[in-house]
Amino acid sequence: MPFAIALLVLLAAACAFSSTVTQGQSYEYYNAQYGERTAGLILALRLDDAFHSWWFIGLSAALCLNLLCCNLIRLPLLLKRSRAFANPESFISSGSGVTEACGSEPEKLLKALGMPDAKEMKTADGRRILFSVRNRPGLWGAWVCHLGILLLILGFALGQMTGKQFTVYGLPGQTKPLGDTGLLVTVNDFQAEVREDGSAEQFTAYLIAEDPAADTRESASVSVNAPASMYGYKFFQNSYGWGADIRITKDGQPLQTEAVCAGDFLAVKDKPELVIYFQAFYPDYVLIEGSGPSSQSMLPKNPAYLYRVYYQNQLLGMNALQGNEELTIDEYTVVFENPRYYTLLAVKRDHFTWLVLIGGIITLAGLVLAFYLCPTAVCAVEEKNGIWRVRAKSSKGGVLFRETFEKAAEESGFSMKGENEFASG
Amino acid sequence: MLQAENILFTIALIGYFIMTIMNFAFVIMKKEKLAGTAMILQTGILVLHTAVLVLRGLSARRWPMTNQYEFAVSFAWALCLVSLIFIRKYRFPVLGAFASPLILLIIGYASMQSREVRELMPSLRSSWLAFHVSTAIIGYGAFGVAFVLALIFLFRSRIKEDGFWGQHIPQPEKLDMISYRSVSLGMLFLTLTILTGAIWAEQAWGSYWSWDPKETWSLVTWIIYAVYLHLRLRRGWKGKAAAWFAVIGFVCVIFTYIGVNTFLPGIHSYA
Ligand code: HEM
Repeated sequence: MPFAIALLVLLAAACAFSSTVTQGQSYEYYNAQYGERTAGLILALRLDDAFHSWWFIGLSAALCLNLLCCNLIRLPLLLKRSRAFANPESFISSGSGVTEACGSEPEKLLKALGMPDAKEMKTADGRRILFSVRNRPGLWGAWVCHLGILLLILGFALGQMTGKQFTVYGLPGQTKPLGDTGLLVTVNDFQAEVREDGSAEQFTAYLIAEDPAADTRESASVSVNAPASMYGYKFFQNSYGWGADIRITKDGQPLQTEAVCAGDFLAVKDKPELVIYFQAFYPDYVLIEGSGPSSQSMLPKNPAYLYRVYYQNQLLGMNALQGNEELTIDEYTVVFENPRYYTLLAVKRDHFTWLVLIGGIITLAGLVLAFYLCPTAVCAVEEKNGIWRVRAKSSKGGVLFRETFEKAAEESGFSMKGENEFASG
Repeated sequence: MLQAENILFTIALIGYFIMTIMNFAFVIMKKEKLAGTAMILQTGILVLHTAVLVLRGLSARRWPMTNQYEFAVSFAWALCLVSLIFIRKYRFPVLGAFASPLILLIIGYASMQSREVRELMPSLRSSWLAFHVSTAIIGYGAFGVAFVLALIFLFRSRIKEDGFWGQHIPQPEKLDMISYRSVSLGMLFLTLTILTGAIWAEQAWGSYWSWDPKETWSLVTWIIYAVYLHLRLRRGWKGKAAAWFAVIGFVCVIFTYIGVNTFLPGIHSYA
């Protein structure tokens, strides 16, 4: 157990420390934040992805191994202890961890302790015994709790190893591939319910998933907090953003119109070296001096489109277009129009989420057993002189149980005996 | 309704202030009667405090535990409730004397937060979230009491057995048991909080665990209390070391609650 405690402390320290380093960033980011040496150290120690690093996984694996061994070793011991706990013989022979009182009406004391259903037996020499056990499953609390933690970590690890997770985003009408699955996802529609104050109430995406190879399709609607399944993948309405149509004309003739999400690039059809980057969208644009562009509300009252134009990867220019303003680059004219939300979907397949859930529930059950079922046994033996010797044992009640016992003994006319050692855990 | 809530809140705040003074007077003047009155006052304030939360819930038409103000009010409420239960159950008025400044601190923090009733963003509108935050506040309340008990435990080792403190603070063995009871209550509810939070995150974001700083810190807190539980089981360690872990655990609780939002970025930052 000291090793287990050390492992737990190390794991807590590792989690706490890792949470102070922004995860998943590049060397440039850490260099800018902490300087060259620290950035190098962060990458060498994998602190940029700490929770998937060799040392974190190693530490967790060591904890699991420790837990597993601990539970395996304790299983026979616990079985023995559990049996002994319900056995008056072992009770009578063992002296430690026992509270004792003498008196004449054991039924009264048992009742005062809330354990009136005692079994009547006889000792080898024919004396009467009253024996009562309560909350024996409580002995298994820690064991069950550890088992739950093991299952939970196992489910989590299996999910990480075998599961798949993607993000797909799209404007209504767009079709996007679903990672490497071969499936296509079309956003048929995406609706935002907006409250009077302009804040969002609910988002719903109407989706079609398609397997071109099998020529099959499935459809579903997905809202926040209400995911749906298609082709064995679960689709979640995770986030949203703004997008718009970018319409390009060449010498006054329509060339192309495409739906583009803010943050995406669009290459001009007949001149792919010329690229328009739709950097950001401000639905209710204001330019605040000192802090740059921002939006006053979520409603598209005064739309503005922040763009950059690149030619052969060189920045040609950047600016914001308001409303229907046009951007002219040589013979090309670019207009942003029809701003609307795009949906960002999290899509995942994890066959082991249930195991994590079961593990969690078992852990919880273990804690309830450990904390709230206090295994207690009371054994009353009739002495030769007609006096009853009542001995009680509580596996976790400690001093609080002793107090309860003393009070019950006093109420039932029993006198406490000797200075015994008391069990506490 | 909001006005009524504000008035009741102010009365409760003043009530907590008087209760704290009364408790201080009890330990300084060593008059037991004052402790009794403080306990009755605490029961009365708890009723008022409950009314504040009910009114808030009614006017917002949702579970009143979703922003800093509401969570702080609920946290103080849970601390008031759990400490009252422990004071009564274990006949332990000194616990009230140590707990009341902490309650006052948290309710004072609440009074500095914005009381505006805001509509919830869609992901927060979930019954799992209601479970998640209600279990969290009970857990936090129980850990708060465990923290106070740990302080009393550490304080006890510095005082004489026979004086006022010796009479009013239980023996270390019993104190340790009471502290264990409050940590177990907290641990049970923290586990429930993490589980319901994971179920909610799975539904809302498609990921039951994403190592977001708030999630990570709740795990750190959980592990610290697991260490406490194990330390208690080792005979030689019982007492002081475990008490220190109950203190560190509560520092983690407070950091998870306030520090993470302030110092670290993450999806929980709106809470
Ligand atoms: C993730 C971490 C862990 C948690 C949450 C946890 C939880 C618990 C709990 C709740 C108890 C019961 C305490 C009580 O009844 O007061 C316990 C007891 C115990 N734990 Fe753990 N545990 C963890 C890891 C471990 C590990 C890695 C070991 C490996 C040796 C271990 C060994 C024990 C032992 C020997 C007991 C005593 C059981 C008894 O007296 O019946 N635990 N643990």
